[in-house]
Amino acid sequence: MAVQFTDGVVVGADSRTTMGSYIANRVTDKLTHVHDRVYCCRSGSAADTQAVADIVHQHLQLYSQVSGAPPPVHTAASIFQKLCYENKDALSAGIIVAGWDKEVGPSVYNIPLGGGLFRQPWAIGGSGSTYVYGYCDATYKEGCGRDETVNFVKNTLALAMSRDGSSGGVIRMCVITEEGVERLFVPGNELPQFWQGSEVLPNPKGKAVPEPQVVPMVVE
Amino acid sequence: MASVFSPPGFDFSNQLRNNFMAQKGLPLPKATSTGTTIVGCLFDGGIVLGADTRATEGPIVADKNCEKIHYITESIRCCGAGTAADTEFTTALISSNMELHGLTTGRKPRVVTAMTMLKQMLFRYQGQVGAALVLGGVDSTGPHLFTIAPHGSTDKLPYVTMGSGSLAAMAVFESGWKANMSREAALQLVKDAIAAGIFNDLGSGSNIDACIITASHTEMLRNVEMPNQRVEKERQYGFRRGTTAWKTENVRSLIVNEEITLLGGGDEMDTT
Amino acid sequence: MSIMDQNGGSVIAMVGKDCVAIASDLRLGNQALGVSSNFQKIFPVTDRIYLGLPGLATDVTTLKERFRFRVNMYTIKEEREIEPETFAHLVSSTLYEHRFGPYFCEPVMAGLSKTPSGGYKPFIAATDLIGCLNFAKDFVVAGTASEKLFGVAEGLWEPDLEPEDLFETISQTLMNAVDRDAYSGWGCVVHVLTKDKVITRTLKGRMD
Repeated sequence: MAVQFTDGVVVGADSRTTMGSYIANRVTDKLTHVHDRVYCCRSGSAADTQAVADIVHQHLQLYSQVSGAPPPVHTAASIFQKLCYENKDALSAGIIVAGWDKEVGPSVYNIPLGGGLFRQPWAIGGSGSTYVYGYCDATYKEGCGRDETVNFVKNTLALAMSRDGSSGGVIRMCVITEEGVERLFVPGNELPQFWQGSEVLPNPKGKAVPEPQVVPMVVE
Repeated sequence: MASVFSPPGFDFSNQLRNNFMAQKGLPLPKATSTGTTIVGCLFDGGIVLGADTRATEGPIVADKNCEKIHYITESIRCCGAGTAADTEFTTALISSNMELHGLTTGRKPRVVTAMTMLKQMLFRYQGQVGAALVLGGVDSTGPHLFTIAPHGSTDKLPYVTMGSGSLAAMAVFESGWKANMSREAALQLVKDAIAAGIFNDLGSGSNIDACIITASHTEMLRNVEMPNQRVEKERQYGFRRGTTAWKTENVRSLIVNEEITLLGGGDEMDTT
Repeated sequence: MSIMDQNGGSVIAMVGKDCVAIASDLRLGNQALGVSSNFQKIFPVTDRIYLGLPGLATDVTTLKERFRFRVNMYTIKEEREIEPETFAHLVSSTLYEHRFGPYFCEPVMAGLSKTPSGGYKPFIAATDLIGCLNFAKDFVVAGTASEKLFGVAEGLWEPDLEPEDLFETISQTLMNAVDRDAYSGWGCVVHVLTKDKVITRTLKGRMD
């Protein structure tokens, strides 16, 4: 997920990588550095998104050496889009590119599965994103500050992680502003808590719940 | 032989024929795979890699004591799981390229360099080269440990497992791993993790190999533990000579007969 | 039914004391139909290296020629005979070159390699169809009867057998295994390699 605010952008992601039902990595860093002020959030195939991010990283290093200035976020996003569109049959990569540049300030670009390119004030992607579109629509406001945006990202990710089995672990976030990149980390036991569920049927009034009978297992 | 020259790389000349045969309903035979437990663990100032030693062909144990910890450079090693030939040849190729890289740059090559070469090669083959690797080593930037999946994705973690026994081994790591472990504690944990794979995963078995890499020294511990030694047979099955009836025999002598004939008395030349 | 089982055939190699033995059946079939009872699958590569090629017969012949070519090229370039270890890697890389369109053959090698002191050390190896090497210290097997061969050899093989005893062990192992395999049999041939001679015998056994 990535959200734009007045002075910068906040990018955030959970940390789960799965192979089938097995969690191959529970502390993954899905926020990938592609340039000093440009990061991307990867979803889909780990191999595909890593390969694409590595290629874009190489392009941007060359760009900054040749032009002598850091690349605009749109340039980075366009390279991602070009790779994702031209190889759409071979790739399964959903990428969000976000960062800060001196031309337009903070910006967020979404590059979904087919290789489209969309500038958005906020973007969510990956398997857990479908659970929290409603929450984002209801909560997002324009003209927020840094702390408010960090909280919005944190809450959105926590909600997605609790509903989606393929998401989980910890929350990693990056705040990208003109001044620099600040990394934030929320451990798995300090995630924001929401409604946790309760018994559907309340106990009959005044009656104590009977203690369950525990019969010890016979061990021969 | 159509041509004496053969270009480098894979040769696809049998594909047309093989696809034809596959279409006729003859399935492709299984290649040797290492249904494996391989692990790696970071400790204070180094890396410990571990592997079991079983290679399988379907349900058959093809090799009871194979080597799965491959040489990349003196201070970088790589454990391989998956299709045995693929792990063997990819690591050999990258090892060769790392040696050349070291020679051209004049520096000791880094672990990330090996990792990048491996991931780019595996990604290029889109998972067709079935190698699942655990790469570990120490370079100028410190100790590093990676896993590389067959499709080319990589992970960097302080403790990793791969192969069919990875779940059993990871269970041991998740319960026993601590930050800043000593060399001895890390080796013991790696041995326990491999043992968990050997005894709980059917694809893994036989002995434990380990490799301890530090900045100054690499120690390859081949068969550090041999928990599955077969007891010697109490008596022998030796057949008495002449048991097997045979029809024809052909003996090819490999001795080149040499006969020295002295001419005259042997004192014709004065060599003094 | 795999392509590997189309023509049938099995090979085994064993290590003895300062000697090695390699043996195969002589059947060539078309599935269940027997075609030939004199189909050689073992070929001499040098005086002290023998190569067994069980698998699809067309590839057996092709690979035999390919290896003959490559060994000859090696001998000319290096001006010396190829060593068994080197030959094993030659076999392995030839097969891996065809990783994505393999030859349906699982080669088995037996040989005596020169030691620095001038003696000979027994050497056996086998690869799978894409060239994964297996250097065993005791025995290697391949072919349609490989499962049976594994079982029988595991029971009968013992270390440090003299050439004549090794002949008995490998012959009994092979014959008893191929008698329980429908696609192998129809005669057997055994080669025992020692430092000064190669003994080749054809065995008397069931022909059904």
